[in-house]
Amino acid sequence: MKSLIIGEVSNGSLSSGTLEIITKAKEDNLDFVVVTIGSEENPTIGNELFENTYFQLNPNELSLSVVADKLSEIIKENSVELVLASSTYVGRDISGFLSVDLNSSPVSNVINFTIDESLLTTTNSIDGGESEYLTNVTSEVKILIIRPKSFEAADLELNESFTIATVEKNELTLEVNDIFVEEKTGPQLEDSKIVISAGRGMVEVDNLKYVQELADKLNAAVGGTRAIVDAGWMPYSQQVGQTGKTVKPDVYIACGISGATQHQVGMKDSKYIIAINKDEEAPIFQIADLGVVGDTLSIIPKLVENL
Amino acid sequence: MKIAVCAKQIPDPANTVTYDGGTIVRPDEQVLDDTDRYGIEVALQLKEKFDAEVTVISMGKLGTQKGIQQALQMGADKALVIEDTELQNSNSLMTSNVLSGLAKIAEADIVIFGTESSDGYSGVVPQQVSRYLGLPCISYVKGIDINEETVLTRQTITGSEKVVMPTQCVISVTASGVEPRYPNFKDIMAAKSKEVEQIELSSIDLTAEQNQEFKEIKSISSDKTGEKHTDEGDAFNLIIEKLKEIKAI
Repeated sequence: MKSLIIGEVSNGSLSSGTLEIITKAKEDNLDFVVVTIGSEENPTIGNELFENTYFQLNPNELSLSVVADKLSEIIKENSVELVLASSTYVGRDISGFLSVDLNSSPVSNVINFTIDESLLTTTNSIDGGESEYLTNVTSEVKILIIRPKSFEAADLELNESFTIATVEKNELTLEVNDIFVEEKTGPQLEDSKIVISAGRGMVEVDNLKYVQELADKLNAAVGGTRAIVDAGWMPYSQQVGQTGKTVKPDVYIACGISGATQHQVGMKDSKYIIAINKDEEAPIFQIADLGVVGDTLSIIPKLVENL
Repeated sequence: MKIAVCAKQIPDPANTVTYDGGTIVRPDEQVLDDTDRYGIEVALQLKEKFDAEVTVISMGKLGTQKGIQQALQMGADKALVIEDTELQNSNSLMTSNVLSGLAKIAEADIVIFGTESSDGYSGVVPQQVSRYLGLPCISYVKGIDINEETVLTRQTITGSEKVVMPTQCVISVTASGVEPRYPNFKDIMAAKSKEVEQIELSSIDLTAEQNQEFKEIKSISSDKTGEKHTDEGDAFNLIIEKLKEIKAI
């Protein structure tokens, strides 16, 4: 199936989401090219396996709609049947724009897909991962927005061979000011072997220091539920769940998290889940390998002390 | 300035979602999606500054219209709603197509959304609407600063950036930047007399088509055989033992 992967640049390389989609494209022997979107200079995003065109954005302009115009042309000219994007800010914006141009509704939050002859079936995860929802996509062009961590990232030797496409301004381009880059210190959520997440059960923002102390001891990344991010206890970049990040660490420690479906979607595939919660009936215990019914605020300091 | 703000009625999130032939079962009484409260708040802040007219736009099963009323109670002026059997189980593109039509009927300069609904989660409707309307799209707005000009702060993968709001655009608002207001008794009473106009599907230029056929819902047998212990003061030891056992420490 003739396919186009919408890639993204992260730290001078292809983003993990892009590498995950490439794995799937290779496995399924898709006839694919990559277009990569980013604003970094001279990234290392080429590989002999595929053609890659780099749409280099001016960081001071909001111009994804211009990129979408060009991609729509490429898709039509080359009779591309399948468009694969990551479920990221850029991936969602671009897929949304393209879907109108191509009159093909995207399938969002896809965790897997199969192609049998020309029939494409997508899988979505529902009920907090306890069920899979299967959909046949019937339009000529199919746009899939893939959830992160759905596939293993491809281990590729990347080089500097790619084509650069220029992105001009058009009447929809907006000027961007005050670009702020959040400082990232310590282990990052997506690639840390241990993740410790906090929920409402931490009671108040000051108590997050216990979680941080535990994380420091275990060299772990810290995450949180949507509830505490909305409450302003943690930046959005640390949110784990449906509308935040998906993590698959070796160990996930859920502290004071009840385990709403929306949270489970982002962490249920962790290899070993430890849950600490006062409420014996909390749904998090259904997916925990080790559940401890008790007061998070008394257990974590003891853990820190004895580790 | 005229503003259209989207409000979706969803089944009460406190209840488990049930499906019938792949479609979410919607009770007669649905509530305003919490995600939309943030967009409505932004619309109301603009209304206060620029004396704008705020129209709630909504598509889907109307039922008791509780969710629509909740949006009006926050302070929107009126609502344009649409329900049609042809729109049942719409994909995101059909939804955007119809909502764009409602925004046009409202003669909106600014169209505001949450970033994704809490039941469907497609997360692409604002972008699609901007494309249908041919307007700039400012997605993932997490802050608004209204002075002589209105400055929107966008969430990005690495941090944030600021964009001056143009006179016409589509905005999606994340659930964090603003504090949605709670209506008081007076607001609740006032909402009852606000106009809710039902639009016929025939007045919308619907070109998007269904392209997704429900195949099946498969339940995944969970082979988790987790253990659960009640803390007697020494649960930390158990956790440390387990971490050692799985070689995490």
